[in-house]
Amino acid sequence: MRSVTLFHRLILRPLRRERLRTSLTICAVALGVAAVVAIELAGEAAAGSFHSSMETLIGRADFEAISTGGVAPETLTRLAKLPYALNLHPRIEDYAVLEDSHRTVPLLGIDLVGTPGEGIWTGNELGYKAGDRVKLLAGNSSRELMVQGVLGENSGETVVMDLALAARLLGRERLDRILIETPPATPGTVGEPWEKILKAAVPEGTVIEREGTRTDENRRMLTAFRWNLRVLSYISLAVGAFLIYNTISVSVVRRRAEIGILRALGATRAYIMAAFLGEAAALGVVGAAVGIVLGRLMAEGAVRMVGATVQSLYVSSRPAAIALGGSDAALALAIGSVVSIVSALLPAWEAAQVAPVEAMGRARREHEVRLHRGRDLVYAGVLAFGAWIASRQGPVGGKPVFGYLAAALLLAASAMSIPSVLAGFGWIGTLARRWTGVEGLLASRGLTGSLRRTSVLAGALSTAVAMLASVGIMVGSFRETVVRWMADRVQADFYLRPAAPAGPDRFPTLPPGIAEGLRKVFDVAAVEQIRSYPISYHGLPATLAGADLRVSERYATRAFLSGRAPAEVFEQLMDRDAAVVSEPFANKHHVRASDSIVLELAGGKRNFRVVDIYYDYSSERGIVLVDRATLLKYLPDPAPSTLAIYLNPGTSLDAGRHEIEAAIAGEPATIATNRSLREEGIRVFDRTFAITYALEAVAVFVAVMGVSGALLALVIDRRREFGLLKFLGAEQGQVRRMILFEAGLLGLLAVAVGLILGFFLSLVLIYVINKQSFGWTIQFHWPVAVLGFALATVYAATLLAGLYPARIATRLVPIEVVHEE
Amino acid sequence: MSLLRFEHTSKDYLSDGVAVRALYDVTLEAGEGEFLALVGRSGCGKTTLLNLAGAMDFPTSGKVLLEGLDTSELRDGELARIRREKVGFIFQSFQLLPTLSTVENVELPLLLAGSSRARERALDCLRWVEMDSFARRMPYQLSGGQMQRVAIARALSASPCLLLADEPTGNLDDATGEAILNLLRRIVDEKKTTLLMATHSAEAARMADAVVHLRDGRVEARSRSRETACVL
Repeated sequence: MRSVTLFHRLILRPLRRERLRTSLTICAVALGVAAVVAIELAGEAAAGSFHSSMETLIGRADFEAISTGGVAPETLTRLAKLPYALNLHPRIEDYAVLEDSHRTVPLLGIDLVGTPGEGIWTGNELGYKAGDRVKLLAGNSSRELMVQGVLGENSGETVVMDLALAARLLGRERLDRILIETPPATPGTVGEPWEKILKAAVPEGTVIEREGTRTDENRRMLTAFRWNLRVLSYISLAVGAFLIYNTISVSVVRRRAEIGILRALGATRAYIMAAFLGEAAALGVVGAAVGIVLGRLMAEGAVRMVGATVQSLYVSSRPAAIALGGSDAALALAIGSVVSIVSALLPAWEAAQVAPVEAMGRARREHEVRLHRGRDLVYAGVLAFGAWIASRQGPVGGKPVFGYLAAALLLAASAMSIPSVLAGFGWIGTLARRWTGVEGLLASRGLTGSLRRTSVLAGALSTAVAMLASVGIMVGSFRETVVRWMADRVQADFYLRPAAPAGPDRFPTLPPGIAEGLRKVFDVAAVEQIRSYPISYHGLPATLAGADLRVSERYATRAFLSGRAPAEVFEQLMDRDAAVVSEPFANKHHVRASDSIVLELAGGKRNFRVVDIYYDYSSERGIVLVDRATLLKYLPDPAPSTLAIYLNPGTSLDAGRHEIEAAIAGEPATIATNRSLREEGIRVFDRTFAITYALEAVAVFVAVMGVSGALLALVIDRRREFGLLKFLGAEQGQVRRMILFEAGLLGLLAVAVGLILGFFLSLVLIYVINKQSFGWTIQFHWPVAVLGFALATVYAATLLAGLYPARIATRLVPIEVVHEE
Repeated sequence: MSLLRFEHTSKDYLSDGVAVRALYDVTLEAGEGEFLALVGRSGCGKTTLLNLAGAMDFPTSGKVLLEGLDTSELRDGELARIRREKVGFIFQSFQLLPTLSTVENVELPLLLAGSSRARERALDCLRWVEMDSFARRMPYQLSGGQMQRVAIARALSASPCLLLADEPTGNLDDATGEAILNLLRRIVDEKKTTLLMATHSAEAARMADAVVHLRDGRVEARSRSRETACVL
């Protein structure tokens, strides 16, 4: 009780007295925690969508039968003939477009024997009622259907129909899955696993897996994506940690005399340390509590962005509802408090070292910090060397652990070198005096004179700037790489695709004869048929594609890691069980040229020799590309997913388009030029990285808020100095300019250090973290315009952050502040 | 003609919403080159009088005239100019900026005024107070007496006509304090600068030409310094 009273009087009261600064620190923690909470919730919602209504409508199932290209209907018959009381649920799963609202919704075909003709059941979130008529675009057909009923709670936006109707609408002859429910205890199966019994019953090439295996595969596939996003979300928290450190440091520096008195009155070192850690914990807990609420709100926006990325790059899914559980809240509270307490350890320890007789002036303290600069520079060098060593190491369990370590070491090296860089600002004082007058001199000396706190502040801001710059350079480089890659790869004049919605794991098809029809069009030089299937390879989702390589050879370019010409590589694929794989596939599965990969296709396991690896940025799932003839040998469905159409030289695009449109009249297909496809690709790319920029913005906002709070603290601490300047004849404008110069110099330093640090971090991001996480080769590129704009914005924000402290400084009453000593 | 003139000057401060009178109807003059000591107990109004004289504060009633200008009628910019060009302040606790070197502290008022030969003038002033060899030192590297000399050099840097010193020897030992007082006396004698000095010290008051006795915000008496020394 006595401790609580003392804590209230010595710690909480001063915090209350400086409400604005306390609020800014709490906001910094809150935003950091909010970013973490929002990303966690959004990631969970995006990944959790695999358990969406599609999965839960049927109820419990133990196994599922799946096959590349679909499960043959005879599989159902074979399973049904087994002498066990199995419950079998054949399913066709796809997506359809509601033509009235243009919404893409999950479509589920299940066995509804005995139900009336062409009816559908709609999910409870779609808003239809029994008797409504709904026009659906599914596969290559559009049909108006009547709503027979509305499904129960948690059915979401799913549309359910009879299996036969779904097969007709989608033009399917095969099933997507058969869910198998086994009886609890069946005589004769004791000691013989169900999996073995079921595998023996199904045709070769059909796989029996425990139900939920695909969901687990999808989750595994998303691990790297979510992991990187999570790390990115911790940046704001790291910046917030700098600011907690700054707040507690300021608190300790200001109250050294007070601490000395307390020690003289009998307070132990442990008590002093606990008091300051308590201050940090109080800020952390309040900040985290606010952050949880804020994070839940931010999750709404984050889940849209994360969901869009997941749908573009990984798997067709619809985000599940955001669920903030008690464990999430407890974790956020723990993170907020622990980060705050850890950030405050050093200043709290320093507070505990204050001797009872000590009531030192600040100048001596600053002098001591200055004396440690050389030592800190040596530490910075050692840390930078450690970063270089770490960046040379491989992934650990598929995660770029050493990459993150390298980034953390670089950040630490930068933080260690900042006091020296700041001290170097002394010469800027001379220049500043020449260019900007006395205000520049005083501002630069103000920065170098309070090295201890300005170093922390510059560290926080430069960390945020470095993150902004590094992610900006990485994304800019990636974007440029993708733009160049698309210019090479997307070269057909037109691309024909089904009107039905496609995704990274679903490839609706065009009618089989459409390519033949197009080849007869006068101005069409060649048509390349491409067919893709979602497959599973070594427990991870991937894509198997077959293309007319003879056409590719003549018209398209494809860059291979070996540097060989496409014609030479394709020649080795023609009519053989050989494949080329995309770079993400090769990295994810550690496949190299001349290795063999085994694919489970209709008819059993097939061995393919990997001829080469090609650069590809279309999907993170990874692609295995074979010749179309080879693909048809194992999956004899001739319907293409995409047609690449090349016109005769000299044919105008308009004329070609008219001819093609006439040839495909009546077919539900969309036609796109290479230009529009490239633009769409860039739109998807930008949407994918929207969440990255949002997280960056939060981190920079936290840092700028910290700058404002810290400048305010500087003004309060140096109020005597500002009062004195007025005694010496300074005008209000001069005092204001001095604070703004100080903010400006701080911003300049942070931007300069942040840019240098950001450059090195971007190398780690591009060549280590990205490569080990996603397997993409990114060519380095300086996104000058984006970077310039971002850094100018940060600089302007830092200047703005100085406005309020400047206002406070000009309003100080000099005779009060000068005589108060 | 008097350089500084208080005409029926009163000053009230608000303390917790209640007006507290710091000065009552003070009428006082200081001529060019005159050294006036303000004496009295703590809280008698010495510092308030200095603040009014230096145009740092304004009277509640009455006038403060510096070279004939009524300070309460001037705008902020004009007041700042007066403080820069006509007034020099010397404080008990020196008030040097810890982040600036000795010479930079001295040239500060000149830089604020936009003077082009600030460094040269600052070094002259340091030479005058015999501190030129310490020009590059930082304040924390100086003793109390040295810091006060630098503060005096700073107060002199703009060649003001009025020097205001608030307990200039209050933080110094006797010997150092005496040296500072001699320096102040020399400034008045050689530069013909008017000096108003608030002090508790009889020794300090003895250096002045005249002593103004303040009690509870009123001027109780004005006497020659030797007489005052006896009173104190």
